[in-house]
Amino acid sequence: MSEAENIQTAATDEVEQSLYAKRQKIYPREVHGIFAALRTSGVLALLGLYYIIPWLMWDGHQAILFDLPARKFYILGLVFWPQDFFYLTLLLIVATLSLFFFTALAGRLWCGYACPQTVWTEAFLWIERKVEGTRPQQMKRDKESISLKKFRVKSTKHLIWLVFSIFTGLTFVGYFSPMRELAVNFVNWNLGPWEMFWIFFYGFATYGNAGWLREQVCTYMCPYARFQSAMIDKDTLIISYDEERGEPRGARKKSVDPKNAGLGHCIDCTICVQVCPTGIDIRDGLQYQCIGCAACIDACDDVMDKMGYPRGLVRYTTENILSGKATHIFRPRIFVYAVILAAITMGSFYAILDRSPIALDVIRDRNSLFRETNEGLIENVYILKVINMDKADHEYSLSVTGIAGLNLQMDAFDIMVKSGEVVELPVRVNIDPESLQERSTEISFHLNALEGDDLSVTEKARFLGPRR
Amino acid sequence: MNEIPVIQRVVAVLWPSFITAGIATILFFTAFDPGVVFVEYDISRLGAYSTGFFLFWVFGAVTAISTCFFLRPCDSFNVRKKERCE
Repeated sequence: MSEAENIQTAATDEVEQSLYAKRQKIYPREVHGIFAALRTSGVLALLGLYYIIPWLMWDGHQAILFDLPARKFYILGLVFWPQDFFYLTLLLIVATLSLFFFTALAGRLWCGYACPQTVWTEAFLWIERKVEGTRPQQMKRDKESISLKKFRVKSTKHLIWLVFSIFTGLTFVGYFSPMRELAVNFVNWNLGPWEMFWIFFYGFATYGNAGWLREQVCTYMCPYARFQSAMIDKDTLIISYDEERGEPRGARKKSVDPKNAGLGHCIDCTICVQVCPTGIDIRDGLQYQCIGCAACIDACDDVMDKMGYPRGLVRYTTENILSGKATHIFRPRIFVYAVILAAITMGSFYAILDRSPIALDVIRDRNSLFRETNEGLIENVYILKVINMDKADHEYSLSVTGIAGLNLQMDAFDIMVKSGEVVELPVRVNIDPESLQERSTEISFHLNALEGDDLSVTEKARFLGPRR
Repeated sequence: MNEIPVIQRVVAVLWPSFITAGIATILFFTAFDPGVVFVEYDISRLGAYSTGFFLFWVFGAVTAISTCFFLRPCDSFNVRKKERCE
């Protein structure tokens, strides 16, 4: 084998190794401080809401219930139908704009404090610390060979994780299937196959994502991490290490004056690296793995206090400040995002409150385009779906316009629809062929509530006749 | 290509297809009520939604895995030939 071939093989080996290289497990060190307290309160508030909301009632129904089998979404006093899909689009636009706004303002606030991945990972890390101990204890145990004690500790942790995950899955399904019944049926092990499946599917996803994958979800799965650079600029608040002040870094005694020793304020204790949940070194600059959790700020401030140096070697700052320029938090970009966000949010609220509580769907009979009656009239058959989304029952009257001389024929003329129900009406519309000008003419069905003029809906349809 | 960890490859197939399956499920079943469309099959609405979701997921994953397959550098298929020439 020639030397060149040897090098080639060595290079291939290296690649092969990295392909199968095990990921370095990250053991985030526990951290205390302002931002840790903020994150903990965020975690408690969000998890609290998540686990409590399905148990709340409103007006005799579950306050928030996405009733898929009935195709109705209950949100407090409002009921949404598939016809209201438009509002979901509005909601998504509002969510996207909020993400733009907050990212431009202060970077990855979402990732650091509110993302479910962060929130559940925090909860899982807390359980891990309670069972397995501190970071050094965990690292030491993982290096030990398997023993009865190690097995006991590890299985306790996984058991607690699993129970917590399945409870999470149960709560998740509780948003789609009435929670109170679901809980009773779960305890009695008397659930439908699909409900059971989704409880375990969601539970398993929680266990996998928060227990095992953790920061890899952010690194490999999250698209937001990858396009955030398009949303931030030099005036965006980011977490950064003050290189000017910190370098040259190095260990020293507390009594040594850094100036005389030719050192910066960074004592190279690597605590900022140890606390990082994604295992990066913030001193290397802005990295896409950084979820903006600010654990390194708390950790470094603590060290600075102990050394008697001013806080903020790692802090929320902007690129402009770091390069000695003026920074503008309230800049045109923020202003434009804020205005659009406010306008669409208010528009959505208005549209939802102003929703018409009746809906009419017209479906043409699929079997025939038209038919001729015994009297020689041209007849079209339609199925009308009347949906009463109001809280009260209503009686409606139906009429049809579009061509002079149209006759409407129904089995029953009083259309009574109870609150929250759908009634299907087969109707026949016929006309003298002499009155038909075209093969296909647009007609309109009008539905009016009997007790009030303002409650009405009009739906267009096509009336088909023979070729002229 | 080989520097990409296995987990990243697995995620690159399963994750985008999961997201698109979710969106496709919402759009499809908003437009078509399984209680009307699949009425001849004895399946609950929840069952139809779930089956639909997993079918969409499988379709998406097949697409993603094909994309990954076709993204392999063309030269990687010629290794045998090169060895023979030497």
